Amino acid sequence: MTTLVRLVTPLVWRVPGHGARKLFGFARAEQGSRIDLLQAARLTTSLGRRAQYLRHAADETRHAALFARRSTELRTDAGKAGYGPPIADTEDLFERLGEVRFLAFVHRGEARGRRQFEVYAQHFASRGDVRTEQLFRGILADEARHEDYTRTLLVELTGSEEAARTELRRAALWEAWRTWRRAGRAIAGLVFALAMSVVYLVAAPPTALVSRLGRGRTRRQRRQRYLSL
Amino acid sequence: MSAVLGISGTYHDAAAALVVDGHVVAAIQEERLSRHKNDPRLPFHAAEACLAYAGLAAAALDRVVFYEQPFDKLERVLVSTLEVFPRSLRQFPRAMASQLGDKLWVMDQLAERLGVDRAKVTAVEHHRAHAASALFVSPYERAAVLTVDGVGESVSTGLWRGDGRELTPLGRIEYPHSLGLLYAGLTAYLGFEVNEGEYKVMGLAAYGEPRFRDELAKLIRVEPDGWFELDLSYFGKLANADLGFGPKLEGLLGPRRPPYAPWDLSTERDQRYADIAATLQLVTEETLLALAREAQRRTGFDALCLAGGVALNAVANARLAKEAGFRRVFVQPAAGDAGGALGAAILGALELGDPRPGPLTTAALGLPADAAAAMALAGELGFSVKRSDDIHTVIAERITRGEIIALCTGRFEWGPRALGQRSILADPRDPDSRERLNRAIKRREPFRPFAPAVLADAAARYFPGAPDDMTPFMTTVCPCPDQAFAAVRHVDGTARVQTVTTATPALYAILEAMRAQSGHPVVLNTSFNGAGEPIIASEVDALAFLLSHPIDGLVVDDVLITKRPG
Repeated sequence: MTTLVRLVTPLVWRVPGHGARKLFGFARAEQGSRIDLLQAARLTTSLGRRAQYLRHAADETRHAALFARRSTELRTDAGKAGYGPPIADTEDLFERLGEVRFLAFVHRGEARGRRQFEVYAQHFASRGDVRTEQLFRGILADEARHEDYTRTLLVELTGSEEAARTELRRAALWEAWRTWRRAGRAIAGLVFALAMSVVYLVAAPPTALVSRLGRGRTRRQRRQRYLSL
Repeated sequence: MSAVLGISGTYHDAAAALVVDGHVVAAIQEERLSRHKNDPRLPFHAAEACLAYAGLAAAALDRVVFYEQPFDKLERVLVSTLEVFPRSLRQFPRAMASQLGDKLWVMDQLAERLGVDRAKVTAVEHHRAHAASALFVSPYERAAVLTVDGVGESVSTGLWRGDGRELTPLGRIEYPHSLGLLYAGLTAYLGFEVNEGEYKVMGLAAYGEPRFRDELAKLIRVEPDGWFELDLSYFGKLANADLGFGPKLEGLLGPRRPPYAPWDLSTERDQRYADIAATLQLVTEETLLALAREAQRRTGFDALCLAGGVALNAVANARLAKEAGFRRVFVQPAAGDAGGALGAAILGALELGDPRPGPLTTAALGLPADAAAAMALAGELGFSVKRSDDIHTVIAERITRGEIIALCTGRFEWGPRALGQRSILADPRDPDSRERLNRAIKRREPFRPFAPAVLADAAARYFPGAPDDMTPFMTTVCPCPDQAFAAVRHVDGTARVQTVTTATPALYAILEAMRAQSGHPVVLNTSFNGAGEPIIASEVDALAFLLSHPIDGLVVDDVLITKRPG
């Protein structure tokens, strides 16, 4: 995966407008992660873990702000307005997965993020873009810390390294299943859209015609429904 | 006697409200618990929280009432998209996916997820739910009721006669002719997010001159009796739900403002947008006035209740109170779609024979904060923690010194306003406090005002006209002649004031302490949330906020938490 990122990175970041869009995407991802961690902090039964999740959420808040700010700077340099505040969708992961699987999921995400950001930091260093390089380097340190503490908690909660590894494999399977389901939904959405477009092309012209013919009458009826019911 | 759960959702700002034996026991917006601003998803967290607060199991519910008729809505969506062929080609599949895939089965989903017999799940008409949410918790036995929003099933505006337990429809205006959609379309044109930026337009309007009356007269034609029609050729709502206006509008008013571009009202360009906002606000006020006068003429009543998203326009509400011919006006704190849950629950309870609820005296209908849990967690996070017997005096002292204090006490509020349970408080006379709040904490547009809270018994001295039936819930504005209150005085010399009585005990005590210390029982009160986030719900959210924002202190009930000792 890292090799692929390394190969693709120089190409994709050069696409005009892509950098700002991608950074904003990271801001949204960090914001989504923050919401999940806040839910974890509310729902966990351990005071110590609650504090850890809150500190992690605070880091994600800062990361989201940093990514959004850099994205806006790039947009402004290109003569455009920023994308606004990073609003994220959430999946209620803690509630759905339970604490152990949630930790495994977060750990995998942090590890993936760290590897990806290392490549990006090197890329921007080679391009002489110090601001964006420093952005990734600053966040990298946090990602490594998050990776460590989630791993430690995972071992603590599962009882052994072996059991933690099993949970990480299960989390990977769950992610693959989620990707499969998302792909299925996307395909079903396309088929549905096609079918509905056909329905539309058949049903809409007569409906529109009837509506236009009756416009004067419906206006009178509308006025009447205001005057008395 | 019965237990009825009201539900609103699937469009924006979902909520649940629980009425037991005719009493409003709890009312909660889903966003507060999911932490997803304006969360539209069915409010299962909120429903479970309402039930848990009341100590009820879902099986004990006599009825679950949804705030909208799903099949009526489907019919309107179908007809309105088909009849604008071919412009709605792209919108139709999306609309059908949303309606057929999800919204049509909402009552089955509620029954299944809550574990309630499907026969107990019913639905009421959207605007009836709005009307009920206003009338049945108002201080009036009899009132005219006006419901105005974007659209319910097919109605955008409703006139009602409210008498005791009865709500009788008197007249209606149907989609797509909608004051809410006019406001939403121009909100999008001005570069704000629809269903979120409307109150920003209201704040911006004070900076402009209403010099686009001729142009806006082309968008909406209002009869003297309040009936109005939009010229739909200017609105893309039917064909482009994302945008809300069509190219013809840009032909009339000039190019739209790019979303999220920084505001600079010293430029001609942004001043022009402020002038458009001012004209829109004026047109909205005049349309509402015509509707309200007609409602008064038809009912002969001296009191008016308002509900629907447009009823959150505090500036318009102030004009209605003054000019519509009513002696009293009431707008409940969650007048938008969330409020539909409350109306639905009350309608269900009335149908089951329960008494009408008493007047709403407080918006604190959410879940309580837990000071002991906050102390333990703050200690774990390494914060300084101090419990105080006289916490309100401590808060007042700190605010008077120029500090910004976040308050998380009691049950959180119902509706979009922080009313002293989840508030950030500061000195209302200190422009530096406002500047610091805006720059470091709220990150808001420079034209958006902060609001004051004042003791009700002293309100008239600072804000002529206050208190009235709306000021406890911050749903109106009053003049603020004293320029010393610079941090809460809007550029047009008004303030969106909250009057405080013992019904809001913590804020009341803080204001008493402010009076003792500074001579003025007035405080700047803004919502306890970060930019783009819902208002804080629990003490955990409050501590997360403290971790990420430069406030001077957090108070959870009687516990002061600061980042540094001292």
